[in-house]
Amino acid sequence: MKYDVIVVGGRIGGSISSLFASRNDVDVLMIEKRQEIGSPVQCAEGTTFSTFETLEMKPSKKYICSEIRGAQVHAPDGRTMKVEEGMTDGNILNNNTISEGYVLDRRVFDKYLAIESAKVGTDVMVKTTVKDLIRKEGKVCGVVAKHLGETMEIKADVVIAADGVESNLAYKSGINSIKNPDDICSCAQYELVGLDIDPNLLEFYFGRTVAPGGYSWIFPKGEGIANVGVGVRNSTETAYYYLKKFVSKFDATPVELNIGGVPLSGPMDKTYNDGFLVVGDAAGQVDPITGGGIHITASCARIAGEVAAEAIKEENVSSMSLKRYDELWRDEFEDNLKTSFKFRKAFDKLSDSDMNALAEFFENNDLEKISKLTTLKFLGKHPNLLKLLKDLL
Amino acid sequence: MRYVVESCGYCGACVAVCSNKLLELTENEIIIREGCKNCGRCEKVCPLGALISEDAR
Repeated sequence: MKYDVIVVGGRIGGSISSLFASRNDVDVLMIEKRQEIGSPVQCAEGTTFSTFETLEMKPSKKYICSEIRGAQVHAPDGRTMKVEEGMTDGNILNNNTISEGYVLDRRVFDKYLAIESAKVGTDVMVKTTVKDLIRKEGKVCGVVAKHLGETMEIKADVVIAADGVESNLAYKSGINSIKNPDDICSCAQYELVGLDIDPNLLEFYFGRTVAPGGYSWIFPKGEGIANVGVGVRNSTETAYYYLKKFVSKFDATPVELNIGGVPLSGPMDKTYNDGFLVVGDAAGQVDPITGGGIHITASCARIAGEVAAEAIKEENVSSMSLKRYDELWRDEFEDNLKTSFKFRKAFDKLSDSDMNALAEFFENNDLEKISKLTTLKFLGKHPNLLKLLKDLL
Repeated sequence: MRYVVESCGYCGACVAVCSNKLLELTENEIIIREGCKNCGRCEKVCPLGALISEDAR
């Protein structure tokens, strides 16, 4: 068997890469190790409106559970700060509003994207695990796959690894992709039914007793239904321990348990090789503060599919040619991801009392009218925060 | 490293951090290849506690 492009992984990164490669008239095979695309869900399912601009798709009620118009942040001492519709986060999240977007049904959305890709010509193999890369004179030229006990070699000019945080393919291609455990957010989430929540409001809870090294969240998915989850880092207890603790305060019933590991280390130094590209979680294309990655992956995967197709048409799939993918996605996201990583490192140093002090400050001051003098007075009373600010500047 | 398959959520966080790349996530199981030094990196990130250092047994 021989294809122009093999995409490994059938979630968002894989389906979008294959969709845009197929649309550019090359033969594409997408391989998914699970027997069902979109399952299990490993995500809080929130994304920005811009995801659909990237995909040039009209959002559909088939996979959109709720539209988000605001967010509420809970400090460790219970103080809250509401982020209103239209407020932006500066450059941290590429000028997307932090409080507007959609909560998706990933099970339906991922499958929908795979179907769209198949409609334009992508071949799809499910329940097929890629065990290794085929290499010739150092260049990646296919994969060794296993389906129902049968091992097969499938050749390709370009292999796109979109196989998630658990990817081993980047490493096999010669790219160092080993993650530091302190940079992995360990997550557990229930889909809860019977909640008394605002269906258009995201909620975030911070504090060492709630989610050390991370946060807990409520992402509404409709009337009384929400993804309620916890992400922790460098914790002695598991994410599941904190999830059980967090949900014990709600009189609601879980109908689904989701588990995930989110890479918060920022992008990898290199995301291409001869005949090879990496996208999505496998490439660290995730915002290190929020852990959100759908809109970033959507853009990067589109670029990967288009660059791979272009390189094949030019009959040059060398590292030098495929480097265009790396340059294009970095132009769009790298500065923001690096800034976000710097902020994440600073936030790691915040104690609960620092977070409470910040919450009190924002509670007592209008965010858009805070004067320099007021800020300086506040920082004078909180030397730890002043030091962190100096580190950031 | 002891792997409790009944406790596994198949998220692959452990695979991402294995410094010797000895772990592999198949559809519904983690495969641990020979050579594990029981370093505990995978245990640290497992959301459900499915990986347990031999020392902790």
